[in-house]
Amino acid sequence: MNKVGIVGVGTTSFKARWLEKTYYELAYDAAKLALEDAGIDKKEVGGVVYGIYNEFFERQFMPDVYIHNYIGMGLKPSVRVATGGATGGAAVFVGWTWIASGLYDIVMVLGVEKATDNYNYTVGHPTPETLKAILFSGDMTFENPMGLTAAASYALPLIAHINKYGTPTEKQMAMVSIKNHKNAMNNPIAQSPKLLTVDDVLNSKMITYPFKFYDNCLYSEGASAIILASEKAAKALSDNPAWITGVGLSLDKAFAGERDDITVFTSSLYAGRDAYKMSGIKNPRKELDFAELHDAFTGAEILSYEAFNFCKPGDGGKLIEDGVVEMTGDLPVSPSGGLIGCGHAVGATGVMQTGEAALQVQGRAEKRQVKNARVGLVQSIGGPATAWTAAMIVERQDKIKGKVVKGSRAKAKAKVKAKAARRKR
Amino acid sequence: MIQDKAQWLEEASKKIKVPKELIEKAFKDELDGNPSIDAPLEIPDIMDITYKYTYGGISRFFREIRDNKQLYGTKCTKCGKVWLPPRINCNECYTPTQWVKLGSTAGIVTYTIVYYGTSVFFGKTPYVCAFVKVAGADTLIMQNIFMEDVKKARIGMKLTIQFKEHRNGDMGDFWFVPAQEEL
Repeated sequence: MNKVGIVGVGTTSFKARWLEKTYYELAYDAAKLALEDAGIDKKEVGGVVYGIYNEFFERQFMPDVYIHNYIGMGLKPSVRVATGGATGGAAVFVGWTWIASGLYDIVMVLGVEKATDNYNYTVGHPTPETLKAILFSGDMTFENPMGLTAAASYALPLIAHINKYGTPTEKQMAMVSIKNHKNAMNNPIAQSPKLLTVDDVLNSKMITYPFKFYDNCLYSEGASAIILASEKAAKALSDNPAWITGVGLSLDKAFAGERDDITVFTSSLYAGRDAYKMSGIKNPRKELDFAELHDAFTGAEILSYEAFNFCKPGDGGKLIEDGVVEMTGDLPVSPSGGLIGCGHAVGATGVMQTGEAALQVQGRAEKRQVKNARVGLVQSIGGPATAWTAAMIVERQDKIKGKVVKGSRAKAKAKVKAKAARRKR
Repeated sequence: MIQDKAQWLEEASKKIKVPKELIEKAFKDELDGNPSIDAPLEIPDIMDITYKYTYGGISRFFREIRDNKQLYGTKCTKCGKVWLPPRINCNECYTPTQWVKLGSTAGIVTYTIVYYGTSVFFGKTPYVCAFVKVAGADTLIMQNIFMEDVKKARIGMKLTIQFKEHRNGDMGDFWFVPAQEEL
């Protein structure tokens, strides 16, 4: 397989409502930003992978075909990915295969979503209609009529987990909310930068037990694009490309009642395992410098620490309590603010997170820069009860060459040697 | 500017099936304000489609509920696993299943309480949404549990089935409530 680099990143602001732009106008903005960042013309793009989740959000089936036209990519190869909340991450996964296979040298991955053109006239607000649009993704015969919501879909495994381990506690979940809202204060495109206290979160309105208002991410509108490049193209375009060294994609049983263990985010476990294996990561807790996780709900972030083997099952809550996942800790999670702080523009989210990981390892993340960020994990979750996970490992250019060290020199040397040996195989 | 407001509201209401007063409230600025020619213009719209949907191979499941107030699952003829929701093929053995009668009791395996639902559930919140294991089934099925105090829901709670008086042949025809001993 060929190496896959990231040479351009472009994301619009994530906002509650982009009244002044349609979905294809937002897509254009992200495409333009990413092309400019990569320093290339649209003519140089070999093909485009679109990440767009919900037809009822966009008020359009096959929205990708109109974007492809609108951004001037006519006659180039194109495919749309729709994997629920994991749409953005899965679109990156598909784009990655287009480069890794040697088929194209330059590929754009473009995610966009506009969720709040939905409008409920009874309450004078989009949310009940947006929820309804999402719920068409629940099995229409058996699960949609039961009033399953996106939040309930996450709460069902979470409550089983709490019943088994006693964690995460509501306070631990509140701490995740505080962290992600706070991280968003360093992100100029974020929708919900805020300083909150534990009491603010615990006293906010109950939405879906045990999630209070501040435990939830918000619907966002926005677009995000990244430019992927083959090794040859990446080196020609940039002195400092980021590299996607590992990918994983897993789809668990969508009828979650058939699963062996409902307390685990098993698709994250599997996608993570594949991504770690491909990039040679054996001890993620030590080897990862940061992660952009899919914190659709606070408790989901904590269960993801466990699924990605940052700690043992049941110990996820301790990582937030001990400050490990804070910006000041040794494994900061979601420096961007994540879905809770930056926002969840569904199809754009996983692309934005991958772009963020690239900015981090390139040292371009400005105020939210993690010191000496060399290796990051990106997670994108979607589908009923976290059925889908796409996972990506994004690494720094000189980490690949083995120039940058973290910790003792001997340890770093051993790591470089091990990596070289793996590559020989 | 909208020329004839009454006419516009009439047509909008017919198009999106929403009362005129609510549309008028939502479009107050466009109707009564004086937005500039370049201001974003919103329109009332709807995506709507009707069906005559077939349940295919699991039709009997809904007929048994509708006509006989009886819950059925399907049993794999090879591995013996009992599926609920039913499926006419076992996805593990790639073998056909056969219909088996299930019990009228169940237990909560995991649950949540929904305080904020979709527009379809207006007036029904808070409600309990749970995965339950029905007596005789090997898989879990998603259910709403109807109970006075939703905060009393807990994992392991014993349940008993109830059927709607006028049944339509859909999942709304039956539900579970806490068993007598839980009250």
